[in-house]
Amino acid sequence: MWSKKTQDVPAQNPVRPNPAPSASTPAVEPAKRESTPTMSSPARTFEPEISGTRGGAAALGKNVTVKGQIFAREDLTIDGEVEGTVECHEHRLTIGPNARVQAGLKAREIVIHGSIQGNVEAADKIDIKKEAKLVGDIKTSRIVIEDGAYFKGSIDISKSAVPPRPGQAATANQTANSPAAAPAPVAAAAGAQSVTK
Amino acid sequence: MFGSHKTSRSDPAHAPSPVARKSSGLDQVFSSCPPNEPQSVLDMSGASQANISFITGLGHRLSTDDVIGTMEQCFGADFLAGQQAAAAAQRFLDQTLRFHDDVFDIALVWDALQFLAPPLIDQVIGELLRVVKPGGLMLVFFNADEHASQIPVYNYRIQDQKNLMQVSRGSLQRSQFFPNRMVERLFEKAASLKFFLTRDSLREVIVRR
Repeated sequence: MWSKKTQDVPAQNPVRPNPAPSASTPAVEPAKRESTPTMSSPARTFEPEISGTRGGAAALGKNVTVKGQIFAREDLTIDGEVEGTVECHEHRLTIGPNARVQAGLKAREIVIHGSIQGNVEAADKIDIKKEAKLVGDIKTSRIVIEDGAYFKGSIDISKSAVPPRPGQAATANQTANSPAAAPAPVAAAAGAQSVTK
Repeated sequence: MFGSHKTSRSDPAHAPSPVARKSSGLDQVFSSCPPNEPQSVLDMSGASQANISFITGLGHRLSTDDVIGTMEQCFGADFLAGQQAAAAAQRFLDQTLRFHDDVFDIALVWDALQFLAPPLIDQVIGELLRVVKPGGLMLVFFNADEHASQIPVYNYRIQDQKNLMQVSRGSLQRSQFFPNRMVERLFEKAASLKFFLTRDSLREVIVRR
């Protein structure tokens, strides 16, 4: 089940709406394993967003525990426990709401619903959802964080231009440098007068 | 780390609407930044898109440390009683301001300090003075209503250099009223303080390390 996936799934392959983890999904290529993963139960409530992705998406279910390094050559969803490092260069990494990750993460795009302790680096975008908890440093080009998300760490916005993926040239500009979607003011602002000590 | 995080003490359904206010303190803090020199900024409100957008949009590096959130985790419902437990106070200190010395040019402390009682408030201010660079600035708010014991606590969302949006996190019992004299005593090791009189009940102070 952990065998190396040698090439991307062809684009014409049907995209599975709810990719249940199974032994026939050779998505993860751990270079070092210190424990035997246990496959998830089929009754998962979290359905990863896979629209707009190339090919298929691999998933680690909520009852899966992995210690070590994970390299993915396709989009990956983690909803279990991971300790170590996770790298999905050129692909999207989704941390599900049940996930408990103590690892450094690198991917093209990272979407966080669950808990992470570790540094996170995305070449394109990091999307932190309201239920997410992230303790660690962020390095990315763009960041979107929902109100209610718990984040403790530093944010480095790298200005390097990331070439858009095919078909994504006109994605929404929800960048950290764009005006925030803030609620409209409901009260007039008070003026201020300064007094120097 | 993975424990539950209570973000508000009031029923969200009945939470007051966000309130806009001008902030001369915020304006002065960011006006003092040298042009084209990225600053290192610490934001002690909860992480928000507005603050991230504003601060990183100016080219600065941002770190966040949600002190009120950490207090909620460490002290439970009764902040003041919880702080008197040595183990809880130490747990709070272990999770707060874990940065190297002289890291930040600007620390946006907001209103968190007024919910800390001695000796914890002195320890936290000591840590603030440690992580802020010499000459660096801290923006600190205190409620100016002398008679209130339960005061609103906010997340502060930066709209632009002169305007904030105050998003309610409920209300909390503050440790005490902080007149100017007491604020000066708290920051007696700082190089200077600058007070701003405002028309609302929030007093702004810029502390220069």
